[in-house]
Amino acid sequence: MKNIKLFGCALSAALILAGCSQTSPAGSDTSSSTPAPESAEPAAETLNQIIYGSTTELSGDLGNAWWTNNASDKLLRSLIDDYDVIVSNQTGEFVENASVCAGIESEENEDGTKTFTVKIKEGLKFNNGDPINAANYVAYALVQYSPAVLEDGAKVSTATLYGSDTYQKGETKELSGIRLIDDYTYSIRINADYVPYYFETTYASLKPLSLKMYSDADLTVKDDGNGAYLEGGELTKDSVDASRFIYDGRISAGPYTLAEYDQAALTAVLKINENYAGNFEGVKPSVETIIIKKANQETMLDELKTGSVDFLSSLTDGNQVDSALDMVEAGGFKTVSYERNGYGKLMFQCDFGPTQFKAVRHAVAYLLDRNDFANTFCAGYGSVVDGPYGLAMWMYQDSKAELAEKLETYAYSLDDAVAELEADGWVLNEKGEPYESGIRYKEVTPEEAGTYQHNVTLADGRILMPLIIEWSSSEGNSVSELLAVMLANGDQTAQAGMKINQNVMSFSDLLNYMYRDASQGEQYGVPTYCMYNLATNFTAAYDQSFNWVTKASNPEEYEMGYNTNFTDDELLNQLSMDMVYSVEAGDDEAYLKLWVDFIDEWNDYLPEVPLYSNVYYDVMNDKIQNLECNSLFDFDQAVVYATVE
Amino acid sequence: MTKYIIKRIGYLILVFFIVSLLMYMLYNLIPSDPARDQLEGMKSSLTPEAYQQMYQNLRKQMGLDDHILIRYARWMGLIPNMEGKFYGLLEGNFGYSQYFKKNVIEVVVSPLKTTIFINIFATILALGITIPLGIYCAVHKGGKIDNFTQVFTIIGYSIPVYIIALVFVFIFAVLLRWFPVSGMGTPGANYTGMKLFLDRLYYFALPLIVMTFGSLGGMTRYVRAAMIDALSMDHIKTARAKGVREKAVIYSHAWRNALLPVVTLIISWFLGIFSGSVIIENTFNINGMGSLYIKGLQNHDYELALAIQMFYTVVSLVGALIMDLSYGIVDPRVHIDK
Repeated sequence: MKNIKLFGCALSAALILAGCSQTSPAGSDTSSSTPAPESAEPAAETLNQIIYGSTTELSGDLGNAWWTNNASDKLLRSLIDDYDVIVSNQTGEFVENASVCAGIESEENEDGTKTFTVKIKEGLKFNNGDPINAANYVAYALVQYSPAVLEDGAKVSTATLYGSDTYQKGETKELSGIRLIDDYTYSIRINADYVPYYFETTYASLKPLSLKMYSDADLTVKDDGNGAYLEGGELTKDSVDASRFIYDGRISAGPYTLAEYDQAALTAVLKINENYAGNFEGVKPSVETIIIKKANQETMLDELKTGSVDFLSSLTDGNQVDSALDMVEAGGFKTVSYERNGYGKLMFQCDFGPTQFKAVRHAVAYLLDRNDFANTFCAGYGSVVDGPYGLAMWMYQDSKAELAEKLETYAYSLDDAVAELEADGWVLNEKGEPYESGIRYKEVTPEEAGTYQHNVTLADGRILMPLIIEWSSSEGNSVSELLAVMLANGDQTAQAGMKINQNVMSFSDLLNYMYRDASQGEQYGVPTYCMYNLATNFTAAYDQSFNWVTKASNPEEYEMGYNTNFTDDELLNQLSMDMVYSVEAGDDEAYLKLWVDFIDEWNDYLPEVPLYSNVYYDVMNDKIQNLECNSLFDFDQAVVYATVE
Repeated sequence: MTKYIIKRIGYLILVFFIVSLLMYMLYNLIPSDPARDQLEGMKSSLTPEAYQQMYQNLRKQMGLDDHILIRYARWMGLIPNMEGKFYGLLEGNFGYSQYFKKNVIEVVVSPLKTTIFINIFATILALGITIPLGIYCAVHKGGKIDNFTQVFTIIGYSIPVYIIALVFVFIFAVLLRWFPVSGMGTPGANYTGMKLFLDRLYYFALPLIVMTFGSLGGMTRYVRAAMIDALSMDHIKTARAKGVREKAVIYSHAWRNALLPVVTLIISWFLGIFSGSVIIENTFNINGMGSLYIKGLQNHDYELALAIQMFYTVVSLVGALIMDLSYGIVDPRVHIDK
């Protein structure tokens, strides 16, 4: 018993000592460093660092996006791998990387394909000092399209790169679409179907890759005239897989280099890459150390307050933003805010039920006070858009006035909703008599009626469709809860003669119904829900092609479920395709004109009702200077401009 | 005894197969498509044809189009897999984590070590406090300390552990700054040996305190009740009447009898060191088994979740056997040969 007591005392003492020994000195600046164990690192080393608190945990997979890894993995990868020939800048515009690219030339070939010849700068180096030349860029493509990468479960499309399909299948040794011209020049050839393309300069972009990471054998890149190929060994699934999890001595070429990856704590420590030549503007990082660690939603502001993290990205929750702003007011912290490049939405399926009618979609929009909704949901930190765009996009900025004139804002109005419905024929009751109160009905054709569950067939053979909208909403979703209060159960909806039935389900279930994925169960293949609530974000390359294909013009793609709204608007489809596939790269004027037309048509057809577009808040310790992220320019790009004071 | 153990192991194997089949069926009832989940992020950058081709290839690779019993047999290793090899659960293949892109066995090792590390301390701390406290309260039943402990433990017992965790974070990490808010170690510190151990202990101290506090109520009251029962037995009165020292009465006579119902609980606690606390590990960002299991479910990584579930099944089955056997060892009156 004495021994047990002694052990208990010793354990308690150890815990207390461990706690006390880490306590920051009284009155010390909490923002100066993380609480450190008894022999803390010298202050100078810990000061010039940023601890990035991420709500997504690192998975440890440092492989490429071919394996679709998560946001934190992507952040880590972007910090250690750079030198893409084409990059997007602060406004989301694609530009040549001045530190890497010495010039790009393009040439149209007789067979309709297009070849981009890229010259890279001399003197570039990997983090270990190895020189970078064109062979390293070509190696990237040879690995990316290799059968071994495919075998390792990567998803790499061979649609655009000439000869990549046969190379990926292992039918050819050479990748004919990629040529190694000389030590600092390579070329890349694009299939005819994919040119012209507004973002086609991105086709020319590759990044350097060290083959030492992929094989113990002495792999080298060769080109005998038929295309580039690998010689000196074999690229295997195992070697490719192993390369994704190399942490010590990882060869990379970005502003930072991976100094430590703690597999137990899932924390990464990055140090400046001394061999880095600079980003697309020639800027080199000055923050010595970046640490990426997990931060919980519930306690991340406490972590920031206590110095366990220095930077939190993209806060949207109103309570958290309020708390963050209180911290800023108290001193020691600051925020940077920017518009989200996307929005939360009510999405309609437009080929069955009441939402196949434009008037019904318009009526739903009129019945929801979107400004009030956005204010409530975002607690004042959000705004409303009237089409599929983000407020930070250059296209929106350049056409703001024109859009303001053209776009319908669908301001909250019961009268407008009723007027639209009446004009569209929603003027009957369930007996086929003139409507007075309750749910509205419309006489529809058998084709329009389809198999919608609520249809009524009268004795005289007329088919009536009631204005009952089946809504699929995901569980535990605060947007759904607010929509239920402000729209589905709102008095105005009943007064308009509309009924919205909320059906709560898991997000996976929602997706199955949305995709009409019968492979997951026969019930999913049957059109059931007319309305869904979810969210969408846009990337720097605004490309809506194939999202609006119609049954008439593209039956195959339509059946594949690429158009999840199941729209039938030929103009919308045409504009979305023309916007990127009929405009030459660099012709911003033509692109912008088609973009405005597309937004205008979308706004009228209204396949979705945009609900809110958040304002994101980055919160950080005020020792950090010049760290200006936005929705098109992430932390990994912005941090090279930052300093710590 | 040997015959009994062999019989129990036979039952154990049967139960294992039944549970595994049920679990596999249940996980497959969840409406999800692992192939689509994997491709979802790339959809916007692929043409419809390319997407469809990749999707179909992936479904084929994963064997998703086969009947569920075929898939179960393949997963269990009773029939050859897509590559023609017998390589399932029975052959030591716990599956492939789609989220971590690694074999499950590789994913599980580090969190399991962490969970065992933290649970060993938590169990020792909790038992080290609850057993003496329970005995003291029973011996001094109705006293001030007993009354205080009764109130205190019922509060600890009633408040959900995530509330306790958040309150303790606020008090000890934010206000007093004694402990870090979360994490498993000082990032970038490169400690080794004793320093690493102390650093881990520093980061685990607050979750350990929360775990201990959360478990005080139940065990203390259990020990107290068992001890009160034991102290009221006739042989205790006899011992006291014979003039045996009070300490000897309590620890040698009463405690030994009180130990019988408590021992099964203690063994189950020790078996529990393999299973992580979902709430504690998530609140304090500890990469343990509980948080790994949740991660598996949240990311539709069902092979990972299923493997963890099967691991717990085995631990529970073996644990139940050990408990039954130990009961017979501790209490000679119990015969376990039938």
